[in-house]
Order: sequence, then structure tokens, then C-alpha cells
Amino acid sequence: MDKYIRNIYRGVYTVLVGMRVTIKQFFEPNVTHQYPYEHDYEKKRNVREIPKGYRGQLYNRMEDCIGCKKCEMICPVDCITITGTKLPKGEQLWDSMNIVHLKDGREAIGIIEGDDKKAKSEDSVTLTNITSRQGPQEVIDRLEPSGDAGRIQTFSSDEISRIVTRNPVVFYLDQFDIDMSLCMYCGLCTEVCPTECLTMKDTLAGVEYSKFDRSDLIFRFDKQEMYNKSGTEDIEAAD
Amino acid sequence: MENTQQTESKIIELKPFADEMVVNMGPQHPSTHGVLRLELKLDGEVVREAIPHIGYLHRCFEKHSENLSYPQIIPFTDRMDYVAAMNQNWGFCLAVEKLLEADESRDFEVPERAEYLRVLICELNRIASHLLSFGTYGMDIGAFTPFLYAFRDRERLLLLFEKVCGARLTYNYIRIGGVSEIIPLEPGSITEQNFLDEIEAFLDYFEPLIDVYNELLTKNSIFAERTTGVAVMSAEMALNYGATGPNLRGSGVDWDLRRDEPYSIYDRFDFDVPVAVDVPELGSVVGDCWSRYKIRMDEMKESVRIVRQILAEGLPSGPVMADLKAVRPPKGEIYFRSEAPRGELGFYIVSDGTPKPVRLKGRSPCFSALSALQELSQGLMVADIIAIIGSIDIVMGEVDR
Repeated sequence: MDKYIRNIYRGVYTVLVGMRVTIKQFFEPNVTHQYPYEHDYEKKRNVREIPKGYRGQLYNRMEDCIGCKKCEMICPVDCITITGTKLPKGEQLWDSMNIVHLKDGREAIGIIEGDDKKAKSEDSVTLTNITSRQGPQEVIDRLEPSGDAGRIQTFSSDEISRIVTRNPVVFYLDQFDIDMSLCMYCGLCTEVCPTECLTMKDTLAGVEYSKFDRSDLIFRFDKQEMYNKSGTEDIEAAD
Repeated sequence: MENTQQTESKIIELKPFADEMVVNMGPQHPSTHGVLRLELKLDGEVVREAIPHIGYLHRCFEKHSENLSYPQIIPFTDRMDYVAAMNQNWGFCLAVEKLLEADESRDFEVPERAEYLRVLICELNRIASHLLSFGTYGMDIGAFTPFLYAFRDRERLLLLFEKVCGARLTYNYIRIGGVSEIIPLEPGSITEQNFLDEIEAFLDYFEPLIDVYNELLTKNSIFAERTTGVAVMSAEMALNYGATGPNLRGSGVDWDLRRDEPYSIYDRFDFDVPVAVDVPELGSVVGDCWSRYKIRMDEMKESVRIVRQILAEGLPSGPVMADLKAVRPPKGEIYFRSEAPRGELGFYIVSDGTPKPVRLKGRSPCFSALSALQELSQGLMVADIIAIIGSIDIVMGEVDR
């Protein structure tokens, strides 16, 4: 009988203790949100930014791609397909270029003025023949230097974080397909990319790109337009 | 009236020992933690035999690895135990690093900073894993609230991981010879300070909550009635089945690879290994479901202690990646084990000097723990099966690989 009463007391007591914990939560703000209506990244509630370097959708800036196929080789699930035509020996599409990474996260691509193309970030650097960017607007906004008024721009050493030299392009890229339905978002391809043209979008568009048809998830990056329009002109202008 | 007369006229033969009824539990049952099918042979409600059928999540990890280079295998180890993917990355990288050390011409050492980052991240991942285990166990038993609390706290940890490696669940963070540099965490920078401050803030928030959860679920009378004294796994039986980690310590065996066979820099930290003891006021005996569950709650506290020690010391400066030109281990074979949240995670690798392994075998702690289910569940009720599966804390991705 004694045990029976003690058992009842213990059952009621522990439940009340649990109730005390839960009633506190009742007066606290919600941590959940109604997903399609209240977006996680919108600044309504649960403000949170997508962190820099988030592994979202793959995006390739074709004007910087040299067709080295390193990403195709490292991909564990073979979601990248590249076919390219090699140019005749001795020819190249354009000269080696320099990518100037600025400290505020933007970058500019062009040829560094002067003989030394592998200039270090000691003095101010003048870039000529800055290529125009292609791609979605939010990527352009993030990458395009603010003062990109003309084709020549000078950066002081304070602005520059590092300079990457890009190899000369000896491939016509006929096809550069990424099947995002196969991708496992490991990010190995972006690490091996020598020109850092293959990136994963850390923007909202890189996180939410669901499609109704699976074939829409094959992203085809095309370089043909660039060869015919801006690309070839730029080369002539540089020569 | 006529109907009742008809039924009464039927002769119902009552057999004292009815035939066994076979019931399939799963593969879609919410308490199976993945896709596990249990073939239950029931005598009334008493389980005579419970045969686990595995393989629903089999993805040929081991065979597939034979066609991949070593760095390419790391993302696949994420998919083994997806709840504690950092620890899986680490286990594999430790094995490959051990294999690379045999090559005397190659002089490399994992940088100090990388070792600290590894321990820091893996202990946080251990907390996240145990939180999920605690939450889902409560939900299996019938307490829904702890599940929401556990996921609320786990979310904060996942956001931390997202900041350091760019992904929430499949991290691919720990690499052979160091850690990933996708998101640079420069020594002494504001980013690093913010990251450490956020961890500190999480620990301050989380540490008192463990006691709250203990009040809410662990000492709850209903929960204790369901779990204490159920499915007692003796120390001998746990050793025979190869159960490791919290399941082994829940049976009263004092064994933790982090302390007894220290790898990496675990010998520099001061932490206790919780071992189950009898708790007479709740009616718990060593080796029952409740002790296995309690070990995980205590381990979270120890992980918090380790992380606090790292934060007090501060991360050393220096590189985070060893200078490895290419991962090409010499001829040979290696078995290396590490302490993952679910127990002893081992990788057996045979190399022939090429960039790809000839054979790779993962030793999964969940697989061994699941094999004990058949003996544990004999003579218990159907409802106890759910309590057992939750208490041995299996992740089917790791069982099937």
C-alpha cells in the first residue's frame, strides 16, 4: 500500500515537473516558421543569412573556363560532362589572363598592364581588357567591380587580396553540362578549379531552384556566343 | 436474436498454444530509424523471435570505393552515418593518414590547428547526434515534446557547421591531412573569433538544458516505466555481440577509445567516460534500455567539457592542411578504429600503391548493435521492441552502407 501511494506520488510529481518545463516554452517566441509563406531567409522572422561559401547550385563562368576537365575528373558521381575541341597546335583562343580578387569579395578579370603578367599585389595594378560578366544578375552584382566604367581599371594594393593567373585557353568548349539532379554537393570540383570559375552559389537562387521536370535540372553552360561576339573582339582589341 | 443463436451454435476450438503469427514491422515504421524490416514471430503479444531484415539502404559504398580515389571517398562516408557525418569523415581520414605514414619518403604531419578543429567539430557533432537520439527515443516511447526541443538545439549546431563547411548534413569537411579550406577560417581573424563566440554562446545556452531534459524525460515516471529493466544486455553479451560505444558502456564496461587508445589529441583533454550503474530509485539495472539512454545524456556533458577546454586554450595558429601533393599510399593494409557517437567505427583499407584502394571495409557499430536485437527481444512484448531499437540508437545508413 505504501509503495502504491508512493508510485502515484512519483507519477504525478514527474509529470508536473515536465509540465513546468513545457509551460515556460509556451511564453517564448516560436522557433518554427511556416515555410513557403514565411521564408527562412526573408527578414520576417528567424533572420538568418546564407553563410558565405554555402554549397548551393553549381555555376560556371564560361568566360574564365579553360576546359581543363579537372572538375569532370574529380566529380565522384560524374555529374559534369565536358566536350571540347582542341585548337590547332600553336593557336590559342586568348592569352593568359589575371584574375584580381578584391578584398570586398568582388573580382575582376583582365590582362595586367606591363610586361610582368604575374604581378604581385605590392603596387597598384592596372587591368586592361576587363571581360564582361555573364550569368544571373545576383552573381554579377556580387562579382562586378563597382567602378567598372571602362575597359581599363586601376586597383590599389589595399583593395587587392590576391591575384590568380589564368592559363591560356586552348579549347573550344562545345558542351559544359552539369546535372544538378546527380550532384551530391561535395564541393570537390570547386576546389580543384584552377581559374576558380566553377563556383557554388551561396545566394538564395543557389539554394532554391526546384523544378517540375528533372530534365530542367541539367544546366547547360554555353560558350559559343562569347566566341562570336565579345570574346573574339576582345582578343583583337588586345592584340 | 437469430444471429446470436447461429454464432453460439458454432464450435470454436480454443487451442491453448496458438500458432505463431508473423508480423512485419517496418520498413516504413516511424520507430525503425530508417528502413529496417523486423519479422516478428508473435505468440499473442509476446515476441518469440524478431528477425531484422536489412539492406533497404544498401548503396554499395564499399565496392563503389574501389573505383574512387581517396579524396573522392570522403563524401560517401558522409552518407554512412548521416547523423554524425563529421565523425565518419574523421574515421576514414585517420585510417588513410595512418596508411600514408608507412611511406617513409613522405614526411607529413597533420597540423596542430587542424587537429584542434577536428576535435572541436567532432565533439559538437557528437552532441548533435546524441540530441537526435534523445529526441527520437522520446518520440518512439510516446513523448513528443522532447523531440521538438532536441531539434531546436540541434538546428543551432547545424547552423554552426554550415558556417564552417558550407553544408548542413553532408559536410565533407575533414580531409586527408587536415580540414577543408572551402570557407577560410584565418587564425586571429574576426571570422574565427565570431565562430568561437557562437560556440561559446551555444554551450552556455545548452549546458543547463541537459538537466532540464533530464527532468523532462529521463526521470519521468512514464518513460522510466517503459525503459527500466527492459532488455537487459549483460556485459558478457555486449562483448560477445561486439556492441561498442554507449551500448557497451550502458552494459557497465568501461571502454572508450578516446581515452583507452587515444588517437589525434584526445590525450590532452580531461574528460570522464560515463559508465552505467544501478539506479534503484527508478528501478534501473545495468544494461537495460534506460542505462543505454542515460549514457548518451551524460556523454553530451562530457563533450561540452572537451569543447570548453578547446575554447579556453584557443585554436593554435598555423595551416589547416598538411602539404600532401597527392594521396597515393604505399602498398599495405590498415585497420584503424575511432570512437564515433555510436561506437567503434573502423576502416580496413588495402592499398596496392595506386590512388585507389583495392578493398575497403567499414566496420559499423550499428550493425553489431542491431545483431543483438534478436536475443534482446526474446520473450518481451511488441511495445518493448520499439524501446529496444531506440535505445541501441541505430542509423540504417550505417548498417547497410
